Amino acid sequence: MKALLRSRPLLTTLVVLVVWIVAGFASPGFGSWPHLRYMLELASVIGLVGAGQTVVVIAGGIDLSVAAIVTLSTIALPLLSWSFDTTGAIAVLGVLALSTLVGLVNGIGIAWLRVHPMIMTLAMATFLQGLLILMAGGSAVTLDNPIVAWLGSARPFGFSACIMLWIVMSGLVLVLLHATPLGARFFALGANPLAARLSGVNIRATTLCAYGISGLMCGLAGLLALGMNGQGYVGIGDPYLLASIAAVVLGGTSILGGRGTYGGTLPGAVLLVTITALITVVNASPGLRDVLFGTLVLGLLLLSGREAKRR
Amino acid sequence: MMPSLYWQIQWRRNRRLTPLYGVVLLLLVVYGWLFPGLFSRAGLAHFTQSWFPLALVAMAQAILMLTGGISLAVGSLVSLGAVVAATTMGATGSLVSMLLVLAAGLATGAASGAIVALLRLPAIIVTLAGSFIIGGLALIILPRPGGMILPWLSAVLAGNNPTVLLGLLILLVLGWKFYLATPGGIALYAAGENPVAAYRSGIAVEATVIAAFAISGMLCTLAGLFVAAQTGSGDPVIGTTFTLNSIAAVVLGGVGFLGGEGTMRGALAGSLLLTVMINVMFFLGMPPVAQYIAQGIIIVVAVALPHLLGRRLAP
Repeated sequence: MKALLRSRPLLTTLVVLVVWIVAGFASPGFGSWPHLRYMLELASVIGLVGAGQTVVVIAGGIDLSVAAIVTLSTIALPLLSWSFDTTGAIAVLGVLALSTLVGLVNGIGIAWLRVHPMIMTLAMATFLQGLLILMAGGSAVTLDNPIVAWLGSARPFGFSACIMLWIVMSGLVLVLLHATPLGARFFALGANPLAARLSGVNIRATTLCAYGISGLMCGLAGLLALGMNGQGYVGIGDPYLLASIAAVVLGGTSILGGRGTYGGTLPGAVLLVTITALITVVNASPGLRDVLFGTLVLGLLLLSGREAKRR
Repeated sequence: MMPSLYWQIQWRRNRRLTPLYGVVLLLLVVYGWLFPGLFSRAGLAHFTQSWFPLALVAMAQAILMLTGGISLAVGSLVSLGAVVAATTMGATGSLVSMLLVLAAGLATGAASGAIVALLRLPAIIVTLAGSFIIGGLALIILPRPGGMILPWLSAVLAGNNPTVLLGLLILLVLGWKFYLATPGGIALYAAGENPVAAYRSGIAVEATVIAAFAISGMLCTLAGLFVAAQTGSGDPVIGTTFTLNSIAAVVLGGVGFLGGEGTMRGALAGSLLLTVMINVMFFLGMPPVAQYIAQGIIIVVAVALPHLLGRRLAP
């Protein structure tokens, strides 16, 4: 019982359930299935970005370029469309390959050039920001890819396609982290890079994998965001930087690396969307909304993200 | 004995930064060659104005990184300083308004420092959430660009005379030297290098971190005041670019992410390098978009280069 109460993923899930139940009674319509489903759809984008972020943070790094990669994949999709590609599958694969490539470049900079993750990914974000304005020219991109449109709006059996995709990817990431040698290497690398190297872990390849996965997940998240919005524009990915890091830490993963699980990021993502929904209900000015969001996230992090005492 | 030891340490610190000084000097020469007006009084004034806010936020970021922290709220603090200055100056006069700007930075900085040090949340998370809170506060104070800065203050800070700014910079550097000579300054490096050892040697690590955050916040809002003086009014989102640029400048200046490693002169040289780089790119007629791309590449190359060269030199 005590061990269960100490489990952060479980605690975060409980917080989400309590907030849903209280808000459901306080505001009619909040607890209805379409509204809950809508929140889960929004959370699936954060959850996918958070999946990559979880892997990177567990491996002892951080990815500050997620927002830029999400935007990149929405802007790049129409550019990769050809007339013979009627299903849009090639474009989708091309976008996923492109975003993975960006992640791999991050990994190369960090593993081979020994640039600090924060600098490497921030510089990548700056680089992409310029590239994106160049590609999109400040105008919005309209969605014309059938697969992405289906992903964003289809609801087979009343259950959204994007939530299903999220569930499948969650399963894969959980298995990868906790049941494969690569996952064990991520944890080893994050806990103590020197010890990991001395135990025969290939540091460079492992780092490369972590950032590659993050890039891939951001690419997927970007496609979902595009599918839901119907439009891609520069800045569409911006909310996902803080959201992904907050979801990871809310889920009990240590920002210092080596400890955590994607199982915590899942309720963390849902919690963030719930907070945003509640703030929208309050109907505040944009400034007050930011203050409320930051304060609530900070307050929740105080519950779950504190590091151990020094002595 | 003491003075000679002091200069020995200074010499060793400068020697590590020699390549950086060289690159800065080289770029300055290129800049002066492209734009001969740099050496006139007005040219120098404009160059100092483009450097000054970045120098301030680089100092703000360096203090935190020396303690092993980092701030992602630099940009929103700059915005906060700008809007506080622009909204209060008309009603209260310039002196009170400047004091309010400094107090705002001191208070928000100390508050984030207290959360980091006393409640044990990692600095990166606190300042990331803090950037929303502080940026939101700036939007509440001044929802859209407006307010005003007294014309004489704009003329003094952003006119055609660089003396005031350079004087302010020298004052700040002297202040930093003085701070380093006090127990608080020594504690800053000790707390960053090894907090446990510092704590067991009787250093108040928590107080040191809170002081660093407070000073850092004050420098950021001061930069905001200056940016507002430059434009003559306040803008609630004007500071956004300063977060990345402050980190880039400090890292270019050789300050380490783990704390206790690096120097303020390095951070200042890094900010100078970044400013000259941006100015040269602007002068070569590169569109702002290409500047982003070039900046991203240059930062990575500049940070990776010492490692690549070092590996070649050392077997």
